[in-house]
Amino acid sequence: MSTTAPIGEDKIVAKVTSKHVPIYVMGKRYDVPDSLTIMKAMEYAGYKFIRGCGCRGGICGACGTVYKKPDDYKIHVGLACQTVVQEGMHLTQIPFYPATRTVFDYEQTPAVAEAVFKAYPELFRCVACNACTKICPMDVPVMDYVAAIKRGDFEKATELSFDCIQCGLCASRCMAEMAQYHIAQMVRRIYGGKIKPKATHLAVMVDNVKAGKFKDGLEQLKKADVATLKQLYMSKDAREIEPNMSEDEWVPTNNAYL
Amino acid sequence: MKVSYYPGCTLKTKARNLEDTAIGALAVLGVELVELPRWNCCGAVTSLAQDDLLHMLAPVRDLIRAKEQGSDKLVTICSMCYNTLARANLLMRNDAEKRDALNRFMDEEPDYAGEVEVIHLLNFIRDEVGWDKLRAAVRRPLTGLRVAPYYGCTLVRPAEVAIEPAVDATVFEKFIEALGAQLVHNPGAFDCCGSYQILSHPKQALAASAELLGKAKNKGADVLALSCPLCDYNLGKRQNELVADHGLESKLPTIYFTQLLAVALGLDSSLCHFELNHEGTRSLLEERNLISTVAV
Amino acid sequence: MPYPQALKELIKKVEATRPERVARKKKGEEVPFMSLDERAATLQFHPDVKEEGRRALLVGPSKGYRLAHEYADLLEAMPRVDPDKVDLSTPHIETDVLVIGGGGAGTAAALLAQEQGAKVLVATKLRHGDANTMMAEGGIQGCSKGHKDSPYYHYLDVMGGGHFVNVPELVETLVTEAPDVLQWLEHLGMNFSKFPDGRLKTMHGGGTSRKRMHYAADITGAEIMRTIRDEARNRAADITVLEFSPAVELILDDQGKCAGALLYNMETEEYLVVRAKAVVMATGGSGRLHVQSFMTTNHYGATFDGVVMAYRAGVPVCFLHTIQYHPTGVVFPEQAEGILITEKFRGIGANLVNVEGNQFVNEREPRDVEAAAIIKECTKKGLGVPTPTGRFGVWLDSPMIEDLHGPGTVEKEFPGKHILYERFGIDISKEPMLIYPTLHYQNGGLEYQSDGSTRIAGLYVAGEVGGGVHGENRLMGNSLLDILVFGRLAGAAAGVYAKAKGASLGKLSLDHVRVFTKELQESKVGADRVSPLLLPDYTLLDTKSRQLTSHYVGSLR
Repeated sequence: MSTTAPIGEDKIVAKVTSKHVPIYVMGKRYDVPDSLTIMKAMEYAGYKFIRGCGCRGGICGACGTVYKKPDDYKIHVGLACQTVVQEGMHLTQIPFYPATRTVFDYEQTPAVAEAVFKAYPELFRCVACNACTKICPMDVPVMDYVAAIKRGDFEKATELSFDCIQCGLCASRCMAEMAQYHIAQMVRRIYGGKIKPKATHLAVMVDNVKAGKFKDGLEQLKKADVATLKQLYMSKDAREIEPNMSEDEWVPTNNAYL
Repeated sequence: MKVSYYPGCTLKTKARNLEDTAIGALAVLGVELVELPRWNCCGAVTSLAQDDLLHMLAPVRDLIRAKEQGSDKLVTICSMCYNTLARANLLMRNDAEKRDALNRFMDEEPDYAGEVEVIHLLNFIRDEVGWDKLRAAVRRPLTGLRVAPYYGCTLVRPAEVAIEPAVDATVFEKFIEALGAQLVHNPGAFDCCGSYQILSHPKQALAASAELLGKAKNKGADVLALSCPLCDYNLGKRQNELVADHGLESKLPTIYFTQLLAVALGLDSSLCHFELNHEGTRSLLEERNLISTVAV
Repeated sequence: MPYPQALKELIKKVEATRPERVARKKKGEEVPFMSLDERAATLQFHPDVKEEGRRALLVGPSKGYRLAHEYADLLEAMPRVDPDKVDLSTPHIETDVLVIGGGGAGTAAALLAQEQGAKVLVATKLRHGDANTMMAEGGIQGCSKGHKDSPYYHYLDVMGGGHFVNVPELVETLVTEAPDVLQWLEHLGMNFSKFPDGRLKTMHGGGTSRKRMHYAADITGAEIMRTIRDEARNRAADITVLEFSPAVELILDDQGKCAGALLYNMETEEYLVVRAKAVVMATGGSGRLHVQSFMTTNHYGATFDGVVMAYRAGVPVCFLHTIQYHPTGVVFPEQAEGILITEKFRGIGANLVNVEGNQFVNEREPRDVEAAAIIKECTKKGLGVPTPTGRFGVWLDSPMIEDLHGPGTVEKEFPGKHILYERFGIDISKEPMLIYPTLHYQNGGLEYQSDGSTRIAGLYVAGEVGGGVHGENRLMGNSLLDILVFGRLAGAAAGVYAKAKGASLGKLSLDHVRVFTKELQESKVGADRVSPLLLPDYTLLDTKSRQLTSHYVGSLR
C-alpha cells in the first residue's frame, strides 16, 4: 500500500478548526474535534473499523451506538455515522446482537396474522415496556408496530416499521426477548406481496414483453448508428418528454413504439 | 356524540363481529366510537397477576392515550379488555406507591392518576343513550327470540370494577328487553366459563362451560348473549366437544350483544359476520325471520 | 449544526426568487434542456476530462487503457498473499456456486442460482446487505405503463445518457428484463409506493423521457435489499452467507476455468480456499477510493476489489475512464458531507440555484451534465455559495416542493432526509440544502455478456463491478435495475453451468497470480502497493506517524 497519504476523508477532519472535547470510547478517553460524528471521531482517534461501520449514510444499521451523558440516567442512542460527539459522552457501539429469525416458506405462507403468530409466538410476551421505541435510532415506534402486528393490522405495522434499518438495538433491550425487526420484516413482505393490491399495468407490460411486442423496435435501435440514435434522442417527435407535473393521464402523440 | 374507544386485539381479528356491529349500531344511535390513534394490547390476563407491576404498563399506556386525546371517558366492548383497563385504572387511582412507580418507569409518558373513566358499552348505552331512546330506535324487534344474558366473571368481578353489582345486575336484562326480545332469566349468568383454564385444565373448564350452557338451555333460551370473545371461545366454539364428552344435552347458539343490537336496529346483516359465530346462530335468526336468508 | 447567519442571509436571495420560479414550474416552463453541443461544452468541467487525473495501464489485459490513478494504483499492485503459501489441494469449502459480494446483485444471483438447484455460498466483506444497494434512494427504472412507455424509449434514454457508446446487447437486456424484475420484487413482497388501486407511482429522473422511476418512499434500495435478503435467509438450507470474509483472489483450474476463490476472514486473519464450479463476481463499486479526492456517497466497502481480482485473472476492463459524480451530495453541514441527496428532489420539482438565487440549469439533465454544470457555476462563473468549511456549493431549493405539491410533502416523500437534517437543526421544508457533486458510481468495470458470462469460463459478472450497459454515464434508477437484471441472469447462468453434466474442475491453480506478479515486476510498477484494498484507510497521518510496529509478532498487530 502506498504510504504517502491516507485517502479522502482525512481532509475533512483537518480542515475544520473546531474545539476538542473528551469522549470515552468503551471507557477510554480520547480528545476529538467537537464537530465530528462518532464514527469519524473514532477514526480520528485511531480506530479502524471492521465491524460497526457500513454505509456511513444512516441506512444500513451497522453502527448502532449507545451512550450516556455525564448528568442524566438515560440511555441515549444514535448511529455512529450520523451522531455528532458530545463532550463527556461514554459510548459503545453495538454492531451485532443475537436475534431469533424464523425461516418461513414465503410462497406457502398465507396472508393471515396467525402465520406470524405461529412463527413468532414470543410476540405475546410483550408487556408494552416501550424500551424498544426508546432505543430506536430511527425513531421508529417499535412498541406501536408490535401492537399493530398483535392485532393483525399489517398495513399499519408496515407503515410504522418502514424506516427500520434492522440494527437490532430494539432486540437488545426487549424484555420479552423477541427480535422485533425480523417480525416486522416478515409482516412487511406479507403485506407488500400478498395484501396490497397488485399493479395490473405491470403484469400487462410483462406479458407484452414476453410476447415480443417490442422486439422489432429494439432491433432497429440496436442496428442504428450513433448519428441516427442522436437524431432520435433529440427529436421532439421520436422522443417526446413527458411533462414533469403530469400524472398518468399523459399520452404521447407518437405511439409508434408503445 | 363522540367518545374515545378502545377496541382490543381480538376485536380486530377473531371477533370482528363484536366490533363491527357495535360501531354500526352506535352510529345509528348517534354515537361515534373514536378509536384511539395509538393503542396496544390491554395485557389481558397477564395484568391480573397480583404483584407484577410490569404487566400494568400496557393497560395504563392505553389509558394515557385516551387522556392525550383530551377524553375523560374510554369506552370498550370486550369484557376482558374492560376488566383489565378498569382494574389498571383503579390501581392508578388508589395505590399511590404503585402509581408513582409506574409513572416513574414510563418517563416518556405524561403522568397518569386515573383521570379517565373506563366504561363498558352496556353501561354507556344505559347512561348516555338510555333505554327509551334505544327502544325507539329499534326497527326490527326481536319478538319471540328467547335470549339469556351472560355476564361471566369479568364484567362483575371484582366488585370495584363491576358494571353493576353482580347479584343485582340488570343492565344486560334491560338491554335485551329494550330490543324487543323475550328475556330468559339465566341462573348461570355470573358463572365462570372456564376462561384460560381451557389451556391448563381443559376438562374442568369444559365441564364448567357445559354446566352453564345447560342452565340457560333448561330455562328455554334460544340463544346466549355475551360480550367477551374469550368466553365465546369456550362457550360458542367448542360445543361439539361439550355435547360429545361433557354432558351438554344439545347445542345453544351464542351471540354478541352488539350483534343483537345491530339486528334489532335493522342494520345489514353482513355487518354481523355470523360466519365467525357458533354454527347455529345465523340459521336461528333466519328461521325467526330476523335476518334475511343469504345464499352462502 | 444549523446554518450560520451568513448562510441564512444568502438563503434570503433564494426565497426572493422562489415565488417566480414556482409559478414558472407550475406553468410547465422549464429551463430548456441543453443541445448535444451545449452538453459537450459543459462536460469540459467534469472531473473525467482532467487528463492529469489519469494514466495508462502498464500491465494486464487492458494494457494501455487510460484511467484514474486511484484505479491504476490498485490494478498495478501486488497480491495480498504469496500463491506459493496457499495449499490448494484440500479446499476448506466446496460449493456449486460462489457469489462474491452480498449486495443487491450478489443476493439476486444467489436466489436465482439456488433456483437452478445449486448450493450457493455468498462471501461478503462486511455484513449481508452492506452495499451501495442499501443506500440507493431514488428509485428503480423500468417501463411499466404501456399507454405512454415501452422498452424502446427506455433504450433511447439509456443510450443518450451514456453518450451513445453503451454496449447495445446489454442495454437491450436491461430494458426488456426491467418489467419482469419489477414484478419479481412486487411478488417477493417489496412495498413499492402505490396508489390505492395498486398502480405504481412513477416519476422522472435525470435523462428520462417518460416517468418510469418506481420507488419505495426515499429508501427504495434499502427496501429492495431487505426484501431479497430476507428471502435468501429463508433459503438458508441452500444459501450460506459468510460475512466479514472478502475474496482476495480468484482461483482458476489448470484449464483456465474459474474454480473458486481465496477468502480472507478479516476477524481471524485466516485465508480459506473455496472450490466452486462457478463464480459470480458482484463486489460493487469503488467510491471509497476517493478519486481526485472527491467526497463519496458510497458505503465503506466500495473499494474496487472485484475488478482487481478478475483483471489479474484475465478479464479486460471497459468504460472505467468515466466515473459518475452525483450532482447533489451534501457539502454542508460538515457531519453529513458527501451524503447523497436523491435526484428525486429534482424529479419532484426542486430547482438548483446559485448564490444569487438564480436557476442556472434544468434540473433533469443527465447526471454528468448536471454535475459539470454545478462545478462550472462554482468555478468558472464564481457563483457558488461559500460554506463555513471553505468549500463551495449550490442550493437545492427543497422548500419550493411544498409550494408545488402542498405543505408536508417534503416530510412525507423524503422522511429519511428530513430527519437527517432535523438532527442538524435544519428543516429542509423551510430551508434549502447546500450541495456539490460527490463521487457516486463506477460507470465502467469488467467486460461481460448479457448472461453475465466473461471470457473466463465459469466466471460471471453482475452489477456495478461490470461495465458496458451504462456506457459513459448511468442514469438514475438504472443501477438498482442493473444489479437485479444482471444479478438474476448471472445467477441463473452460473447455476445452470454448475449443475450441467460434465461440469468438472481440474487441478486448482493460482498461476495467473504468479504470471501477473511477474508482469508487474518486469514493468517495474506496483512493488510498493498491495491490492485488493478491502477497506479504506482514514487514519490520520499524525496518528500513523506513531504507528511504528515494523514486524507483527504474536497476537499484536
